[in-house]
Amino acid sequence: MTNSEILQNITTIMREVLEIPNLNVTFETSAAEVDEWDSMTHIQIIASIEAKFKVRFALGELQALKNVGDMIGLIEKKLSK
Amino acid sequence: MLFNSYAFIFVFLPIALAGYFSINHFKRITLGKCWLIGASLYFYTYFSYKNLPILLFSLCMNYILGSLLHQDLKWISKLNLFRFGLFLNIGLLSFFKFSGFLLPLGLSFFTLQQVAFLIDSYEGLTEKKGFIDYAFFVSFFPTLISGPIVHYQHLIPQIESIDNKRFNLNQFSAGIFIFCLGLTKKVLISEAFAGWAKTGFDEALSLDLLAAWKTSLSYTFQLYYDFSGYTDMAIGIGYMFNVKIPQNFNSPFRSKSIIEFWSRWHMTLSQFINTYLFTPIVRAMPKINFRNTMFATFIAMFIAGIWHGAGWTFVAYGVLHGSALVVNHIWKKRKKKLPPGLAWFLTFNFVNITFIVFRAKTLSEAWKVLKGMLGFSGVIIPKVIIKSVGPLKEWGWKMGSYLQPDDYLLMIMLVGAFYALHKLKNSLELEKEFTPNTKVAMACGIAFVFCFFGMNRITEFIYFNF
Repeated sequence: MTNSEILQNITTIMREVLEIPNLNVTFETSAAEVDEWDSMTHIQIIASIEAKFKVRFALGELQALKNVGDMIGLIEKKLSK
Repeated sequence: MLFNSYAFIFVFLPIALAGYFSINHFKRITLGKCWLIGASLYFYTYFSYKNLPILLFSLCMNYILGSLLHQDLKWISKLNLFRFGLFLNIGLLSFFKFSGFLLPLGLSFFTLQQVAFLIDSYEGLTEKKGFIDYAFFVSFFPTLISGPIVHYQHLIPQIESIDNKRFNLNQFSAGIFIFCLGLTKKVLISEAFAGWAKTGFDEALSLDLLAAWKTSLSYTFQLYYDFSGYTDMAIGIGYMFNVKIPQNFNSPFRSKSIIEFWSRWHMTLSQFINTYLFTPIVRAMPKINFRNTMFATFIAMFIAGIWHGAGWTFVAYGVLHGSALVVNHIWKKRKKKLPPGLAWFLTFNFVNITFIVFRAKTLSEAWKVLKGMLGFSGVIIPKVIIKSVGPLKEWGWKMGSYLQPDDYLLMIMLVGAFYALHKLKNSLELEKEFTPNTKVAMACGIAFVFCFFGMNRITEFIYFNF
């Protein structure tokens, strides 16, 4: 799966969880910019990503995620294993 | 040892730094680490040796557990070993928190750092290192007693890096700047508020309206400037050793909601709670829906409350913040927004009131202050004002004495504190844009001279108690 395909999937997930149908998601998008993206919606986003890509994040990995780009990097790493 | 003491600033810190960089200069890397571990242990035992066995016990125990988690063992499964490790750590912490014994200095913080290490090791995120590296990580004196909570994976690469072994003038001057900032917060600001807070909480039997507000606002600012001052000093010292330590505060009193407050207040603790407490609780639930995540939020805040100590006041603190977060999330889900001013006002006052519970030794002491703030213990108006509002006497308002110099100072300090919190750049922003120049050097110098004369009283940091 390519970067942009992963981004597309994440965009769909985030629009659904955050309930913002036209949310624009880029590599740089971070929780600080999107008010709806807080600890509660974050865990829902993570769970949806885990289900979609069939990966499992370690707790310590979640803490290091600062933006969508980090997430994509981590998913890629998991998928290539 | 205290950061805000002559012995620390003029003797301990210069020797620790000079020794560390001299040893590293001669490429004796391991010896350099040992030097700093030794310095950290000296720092830790400066007032008393009696806590040292507990620190060493916890350190060795977790090092062994971590090493075992890095291997494939036949006699015990990883999961059981991990559970056993968690049990030992939480057991040790709970024993001292709840048994009534004096809490060993820093136990709450070095336990959390090591619990994170165990969880990360269990999940395969840590790299196996020798005992000296591990001891360095746990004992590193800037963060040993009250955080910020540093992660093993974050610290180890920094002490491995050869570049960081050389004295770096830029880092050092940034360190001095941030240290001075923190010292000023602690010695000049927090200490001044501390006096008013102490009078109201510990000495007064009952507080009238103005005295109660004076008490509670003083404590809120005392706590913030004490803890964020401590944190800045720790970060500054970290810079001097070329170690980057994460910030704990990002202008928490600018928050316009409780959710926002917890992303700005004691950030390394809230990240810890979020990552290692809230997330596993949610994952353990059959379904991730709004109700379940709210339940997890509440439980996580409740545990965070009692992490501060045994006692109903900390239970109440956890319950209040847990409930407020739930209410905040429900409100947010409805997508209705409060006007920003009102949102700030509600958030600040809620936080201010919960700090009463946090500070008070008993719930009835907390009620004493709260009751006063609500006007139930009478209203006494300073003489200077009552002249213009004479008719208020008919409502039972009493006339007090004329305003004292102390009252004017408090008013100036409060206005100054509110102004600083809203308008001035915070440590995080100042740290980012720091450039060494004459102006900054002068400001640091002047602040330091004032602190120098203010430091003759030895005062501990509030978070040494947790």
